[in-house]
Amino acid sequence: MDSLIAANISQRPLRTAISIIGVALGVILVTLFVGLARGMLRDVAQRQANVDAEIRFWPGGNISLAGNPLMLPARYADAILHGVQPTTEDPDLEPKPPISGIAATSAVGEYVQGSVAGIGFELVDGIDYPAFIRTTHLTIVQGRGLADGRTPDTEYEAIVDRYYADSGKDIDGKHVSVGSRITVLGHTFTVVGIYEPSVLARVKIPLHTLQQLLGGVENCTFVMVKCERPELANQVLEDLRRYYPGNRVILTNEIPALYAQGLVPVEIFLNVVIGLGLVISVLVILLAMYTTIIERTREIGILKSLGASKRFIVMTIEKEAALISAMGVLLGFVVAVIGKFAIEANTRLLIDLQPRWLFIAAVIGILGGLIGAIYPAARAANLDPVEAISYD
Amino acid sequence: MDPVLETIDLQMIYRVGKVDVPALRGTTLKVEPGEYVAIMGPSGCGKSTFLHIVGGMLKPTSGKVMIEGEDLTAMTDGERTDLRRRKIGFVFQRFNLFPTLTAEGNLKLAERIYAGKNNRDAAGRREVLRVLGLEDKMHHKPLELSGGEQQRVAIARAVINRPAIILADEPTGNLDTENSEIVLKMMRRLNKEFGQTIIMITHNAEAAARADRVIEMRDGHVIRTGLPAEVVRGRS
Repeated sequence: MDSLIAANISQRPLRTAISIIGVALGVILVTLFVGLARGMLRDVAQRQANVDAEIRFWPGGNISLAGNPLMLPARYADAILHGVQPTTEDPDLEPKPPISGIAATSAVGEYVQGSVAGIGFELVDGIDYPAFIRTTHLTIVQGRGLADGRTPDTEYEAIVDRYYADSGKDIDGKHVSVGSRITVLGHTFTVVGIYEPSVLARVKIPLHTLQQLLGGVENCTFVMVKCERPELANQVLEDLRRYYPGNRVILTNEIPALYAQGLVPVEIFLNVVIGLGLVISVLVILLAMYTTIIERTREIGILKSLGASKRFIVMTIEKEAALISAMGVLLGFVVAVIGKFAIEANTRLLIDLQPRWLFIAAVIGILGGLIGAIYPAARAANLDPVEAISYD
Repeated sequence: MDPVLETIDLQMIYRVGKVDVPALRGTTLKVEPGEYVAIMGPSGCGKSTFLHIVGGMLKPTSGKVMIEGEDLTAMTDGERTDLRRRKIGFVFQRFNLFPTLTAEGNLKLAERIYAGKNNRDAAGRREVLRVLGLEDKMHHKPLELSGGEQQRVAIARAVINRPAIILADEPTGNLDTENSEIVLKMMRRLNKEFGQTIIMITHNAEAAARADRVIEMRDGHVIRTGLPAEVVRGRS
């Protein structure tokens, strides 16, 4: 073998392999975690985009993705559409007119449950099916839609989207289809229909059932408001804010920005993951190259006796680190791609391996390796040549 | 003709704890181009220190070292390394080849350090290999070679860039009589055929007898210099 770098790397195959795996771990960490966060975010945004309703009506207070899900009385959906008048049961009720320009409203209950696959979480929607299809372009492609869930034979029915049906397993471990039994909120539901496109949660059950399972109060999470024409959205928004103060009224197209605000901690977490990936690469290469330098002290002395400059010695060690790091990056990519397919096949998590993030992971892996090799390289370059060549 | 090496009142004092230990106490000598010089002396007389200073691996406490007119003692560490790369070739007792590289890899590494990736003298390399009888050993790793062959590869590596001086530190110290004989013959051949200046440290009187001139050192001084027969006879 004529190349000193290649010879050094092949001289200690186990250590080289461990170093490569160490760098690969950092790369896998970055690519999979970032891919997971981006994949889920893109999926959520896509599912939000399939909602026709221009306005989302939330109860007042902070919007939380994981707070108490049913805080808004479901009768708001009717009140917004038809107006409110005092009744004999509630004579003090402040009368409100119907909001003009609204075509349909739909109360939706949204619950976050742990994923059935055991990794991550998934949303479940409780919907009033007839109202829901008036505010979205949901279409049943197999089976039928949901009933109201108020009779024993329709109480535990569910519809799922095509992705869920294709990627999920029922409680018998089979692919989900019409008639399959799935677990939702700890109960067994029968799938009665498969719909397209994906809108909000992938699993939908009757709103009444969700209310019963979560305490029996006739509440929802939000109301979707569909305008007669999209250009009326701002006027409807203003009217809703005027007649229903204290609630949050948001244009649907602002929701991705709202999610982004809520995802600040996720971004921080991702930055920590990236930092961790870098630290792993730095430490692995630092330890590997430091051990190498100690082992090869005599060889460094020989290089010095041959007239090798400090720069030559530093470059030799840095090139070796870069080569190990590059192999680690490649291994990391291979494992990340395999991991993506394995995770997506066995869970409903989506992993988005964008070229930009693969590039960043590669830079982190190689940069980490180069940084990790700086100290050993500098130490080697500054060895006393006479002491180094006499080293045993 | 100017000397290829000149040392003037070379002194080297090592600090060991709080004690100063003199290794060289004013060594002055000249070596002419193409000369084959052996340095003899008992252990601790300063031979190796002298070799390391002349090779630019150590900086003397005082005195001057001139190599082809360049003052080594006035140079920075980086400049000394550069001069070593251009003008010095080392041969060590323990061969000091890279065990993971083939013989050819060891030579190419030396060439690369000397000339970078380009500008390699393949014809010159072949000529050196021919003189040293190594043409069929190029693809062997050091551990697949005998001691004598390893030392010949080490000599080839030292001479491949045509340095001004070869500094050999006990080149036959690890070899049996037969291989010592081969290595000494090779060194003499290099000296004769290429006009290569060689300074060789040795304890072996027979090895010293192959040189043009022998310098005897003791306690950091040059105490005698002359033809091998004179100096070796004087020692015994």
